[in-house]
Amino acid sequence: MHRKSTGYLFVLPALLVLGMLIAYPVAYTGLLSVTDNQGNLVGLDNFRAILGARATPTAFFNTLWWVVGSIVFQVVLGVLTAILLNQKFRGRAIVRSVTLIPWVVPGIVAATTWAWMLHTEFGIINYMLTAPGVLEEPVGWLTNGSTVLPVMIAINVWKMFPFVAIMVLAGLQSISNDLYEAARIDGASFWEEVWYVMLPQVRPVIVAVTLLLVIWALNHITIIYAITRGGPANRTLITPIQIFRTAFESVQFNQAAALSVMFFAVAITVVFFYIRTTAGNAGASK
Amino acid sequence: MSDTTLKLKRTGMPMPLVIVGSALLVLVCLFPFWWMGLSSIKTLRELYTIPPIWWPSLPTLDNYRTVLFESNIPRYFLNSVVISVGSTALALILAIFASYGFARFDFKGKPALQSFVLIGQLLPTAAIIVPLFITLRVLGLVNSYWGLILVYMIITLPLSVWMLTSYFRAIPVELEEAAIIDGASRIGVLFRITLPLSVPGLVSVLVYAFVTTWNEFIFALCFATDSSVKTLPIGLAEFSTEFNTDWGAVMAASMVMTLPIAILFLSMQRLFVGGMTAGATKG
Repeated sequence: MHRKSTGYLFVLPALLVLGMLIAYPVAYTGLLSVTDNQGNLVGLDNFRAILGARATPTAFFNTLWWVVGSIVFQVVLGVLTAILLNQKFRGRAIVRSVTLIPWVVPGIVAATTWAWMLHTEFGIINYMLTAPGVLEEPVGWLTNGSTVLPVMIAINVWKMFPFVAIMVLAGLQSISNDLYEAARIDGASFWEEVWYVMLPQVRPVIVAVTLLLVIWALNHITIIYAITRGGPANRTLITPIQIFRTAFESVQFNQAAALSVMFFAVAITVVFFYIRTTAGNAGASK
Repeated sequence: MSDTTLKLKRTGMPMPLVIVGSALLVLVCLFPFWWMGLSSIKTLRELYTIPPIWWPSLPTLDNYRTVLFESNIPRYFLNSVVISVGSTALALILAIFASYGFARFDFKGKPALQSFVLIGQLLPTAAIIVPLFITLRVLGLVNSYWGLILVYMIITLPLSVWMLTSYFRAIPVELEEAAIIDGASRIGVLFRITLPLSVPGLVSVLVYAFVTTWNEFIFALCFATDSSVKTLPIGLAEFSTEFNTDWGAVMAASMVMTLPIAILFLSMQRLFVGGMTAGATKG
């Protein structure tokens, strides 16, 4: 029968668009990374040049901090929030909606609002910390090299922990009541229930969400780019921003491509683990 | 604890903790927006005073006047609407057909093609900015609505296909088979039976695609450098990176940009969250 070819017809338009926008650029990046701007093959020169750049190791370690720092706090806060929102209390629906707001607003709005709140002289945060005497004098959160990356991570955590919370909450809601009843018959306290029933049951969700967060942390350059553009003195320069600046500020498309290839290799490894893990969870969804 | 034989005691988080936790959560999530709104109606003098003023004595709409009549923001707002609506519509149409194909047909290479779509969602965008820029330049689509509408397919299409496929699968095949026996075509079945049954799924795709494109920053920054196509996020970034930032106007512009999204999201929230979590936990 012609059933099979009909299936292809349905999926073809979407695949063509994605192919044009993904497969072709990815292949083209590979080509750019081993040629110069005249199109001549230059082997690994671009890789050598970009790896030799002083900013590259800085960006690498910043990216590592950015990803690890963001994810640890996003997951911990997200899971705690999910457990809280899974309780029965009055006004729960409102609290749930409110929790989602940071995640929904544009990244750029989050960035500018926090930048204003963190303003050294007139920012509300410095005021709230200096007035009761927690800090002796205002801190230049966004200009001080030792505070700026942690602050960026904090803003990113604020933006994304709601996502972890709704995903984990959905997982918590699907836990069978029998498990809680069994725990209660054994005389488990609430915290024992959290530890022995809830967390083990939502572990697959947490793993999947964590891997997704790794990929998103590698992708989300809006907050950092909008507030500091990687400064001061490259303290918040992460690899995706370095790619962007190499390409569009230094106009070194080929070196940017070489960096993209390496970045891509790391990201695709994470994606691979993600697919293997979620495929394990999803099972028979063919 | 002792009368478990009759009725199990409902254990739960201690009530004081629930109250403190909820209050803290609401404060942390909402305070920046409250401060944003407050700053947007302050006069210049009240913005730059120490200690900060909690409630403006002379609330003013001057900042909104600046944003709405003396800046490019209205133009950018229009650009954002055109681009978001365009790419949402295109993504929805492509996703409906692709998802239906994946959900209802068996063909060679289907798992591989589905993984390809999934990888699209997870691709690091920064890694393909350069070749995309060159591709768009060759096609003459840099600085055009179509350029951004197309490019946004990368971010919206994969998850849309993923979400809709699981929705279509949940609809009993028997309904469609009955219609086919009655002589309906595949397309007729899709439009008359499957789509009306998957309205919640379609709505979640719609909200997801619209919100994502409305908020998108990096692609817009690279591919829209002319003010005739620049979107709101870029406009906001321009406002705040100029040497002398007018924070009152920035906060007013932020409000203008956030409101449509907040309204759309809060009104569709139940459907949207249901669709998102179903897609992500069931695969």
